[in-house]
Amino acid sequence: MASKSARTRAGRKSNGFDDAIPVVHLKDIHKSYGDLEVIKGVELKARAGEVVTLIGSSGSGKSTLLRCANLLEVPQSGEIIFDGNPVHWKVKGSERVPADMNEVRLVRTNLSMVFQQFNLWSHLTILENVTEAPITVLGRSKMEAEQTGRKYLEKVGIVEKCDAYPAQLSGGQQQRAAIARALAMEPHAMLFDEPTSALDPELEAEVVQVIKKLAAEGRTMILVTHDMKLAQDVANHVVFLHQGVIEEQGNPSEVFGNTKSKRLIQFLSATVTA
Amino acid sequence: MMGFCADPATVEGVKWWMCYLTTNTHISFYKSFLVVLALLALTAPLAMLLGFAGALARRSGIFPVSLIGHTYTSMVRGVPDIVFFLFIPIAMDQAFELTRHKILCPEVIGPVYQGNDFVVCTAAKLPLSTADAWVHTTYGFFLAAFGFAIVFGAFAANTIDGALSAVPKAQLETAAAYGMTKRQTFWQIHLPQMWGFALPGLSNLWMILVKATPLLFLLGVEDVVYWAGALGKTKTAAYFDYPHGDWRLGYFAMLLVFYLFVTWVSENFLSRMQAKFNTGQATIGGKKLPQGIAR
Ligand SMILES: Nc1ncnc2c1ncn2[C@@H]1O[C@H](COP(=O)(O)OP(=O)(O)O)[C@@H](O)[C@H]1O
Ligand SMILES: [Mg+2]
Repeated sequence: MASKSARTRAGRKSNGFDDAIPVVHLKDIHKSYGDLEVIKGVELKARAGEVVTLIGSSGSGKSTLLRCANLLEVPQSGEIIFDGNPVHWKVKGSERVPADMNEVRLVRTNLSMVFQQFNLWSHLTILENVTEAPITVLGRSKMEAEQTGRKYLEKVGIVEKCDAYPAQLSGGQQQRAAIARALAMEPHAMLFDEPTSALDPELEAEVVQVIKKLAAEGRTMILVTHDMKLAQDVANHVVFLHQGVIEEQGNPSEVFGNTKSKRLIQFLSATVTA
Repeated sequence: MMGFCADPATVEGVKWWMCYLTTNTHISFYKSFLVVLALLALTAPLAMLLGFAGALARRSGIFPVSLIGHTYTSMVRGVPDIVFFLFIPIAMDQAFELTRHKILCPEVIGPVYQGNDFVVCTAAKLPLSTADAWVHTTYGFFLAAFGFAIVFGAFAANTIDGALSAVPKAQLETAAAYGMTKRQTFWQIHLPQMWGFALPGLSNLWMILVKATPLLFLLGVEDVVYWAGALGKTKTAAYFDYPHGDWRLGYFAMLLVFYLFVTWVSENFLSRMQAKFNTGQATIGGKKLPQGIAR
């Protein structure tokens, strides 16, 4: 189960032990928009090689939680600990903000995000999309970045689309390119926010396949999904979020096979019939 | 001028035309086309620069800066263009001369505005009254170009500002999510994507600028319109070497062809640019753009 990214974290291979330092650790996160408290004290851990799937109805705060992990949103309280290093804070006006943007960038470059709407940069070709951040942010040479980029485009099966623009690709191809873009950062962990929700059912499968492949490689991932089968298949740990709190969590066979919370039972029956 | 043109009264046919079309006034006429092109070549980049400065000022988080940006754009956009074309060159000229007056001849006391006249010392004159005629012409031309640039810069600022806002937020947020700094995001993502949105507006502005060039005439620059009118007028044999009737129609037709040509070249170039930017244009939810737009 030692993926490349896991191996780079000196000596902290995925071993399943509870005492291993999580790659991503969100601690008692509270996030409000104005008066609306969206995340109400959530703790979430993803250890090396672990796939955590996050399920819950629309509006339950899944995206917000994920966006807190890479600091696209700043939680009002709680800690974000990446690879054992907590993000430090300072107060600006009446708000709490990260004290050091370098810490933020360190988290972001090691925690690549895949978005529901793909968000490929529309003015760049597929290859340029995949090499942009490695060149600009990580300071890789163009040649090196292209080599790496092609490798990951090949992995997701669209290396022949290198020179196309996002608009010229199908949704499934775009999402696979977006996954290649995330992989090209060679991150310690990956965030997926409903990566298949914007796709027609026939295109969904090709993306699901890629995600399963990555999970099987032992990549550390936090995956938000509405696809219960996918959640069950790839997860080491399932978290059910309801109105900003964790209602139930555990390993997939427990959560799906022996559901305890009423709300999750309700939610699961609704998604099956939907 | 060709040798056989020495005595215009004796030449005929093709030779007459060759002589006629190479008179000094005609040469000035031809040069005035270059003046128009020079004005365009100088005004466009200057206006773009002011446009960028104006747009960035407007978007600045620093209040005084954004106030300056807003004042510039709304003031220029609210006042009739012609007023600005007339106002700016004179205002700039007086501002320069006043500054020089204060520095170069501090010994002269008394107000610069004497009744209705603006009087500075001889040394402060711009250009100096001893300067060659071409210096005066060039100076006037540059003042005019500035007038154009300030007016068109304000419109460009509006377009650029709008285009910067039109870039989908998700594109910029994604850059941040991949660790780009604000500056990197601006140069790598925001600015390149802005062009696709700004180009239709800027193209429009360019065509309006082309059509506005005859206003140079108002500023005392002897432009194509001035010369076409002057050359086309009826010339009697008593006063002119090459007498002819009212040929204004012909001369203005030449202007027509010239402006149509500039328009044609511009539209070709701009539509090619637009096509280039469209290739990489927005995909919301990854949906392909309709073919018609994407090409
Ligand atoms: N930027 C925002 N401003 C205000 N409210 C927001 C914002 N983002 C999300 N919300 C609200 O937070 C709640 C959770 O949203 P979200 O995290 O997107 O849910 P999910 O991803 O589970 O569907 C929703 O009620 C949503 O309306
Ligand atoms: Mg969501």
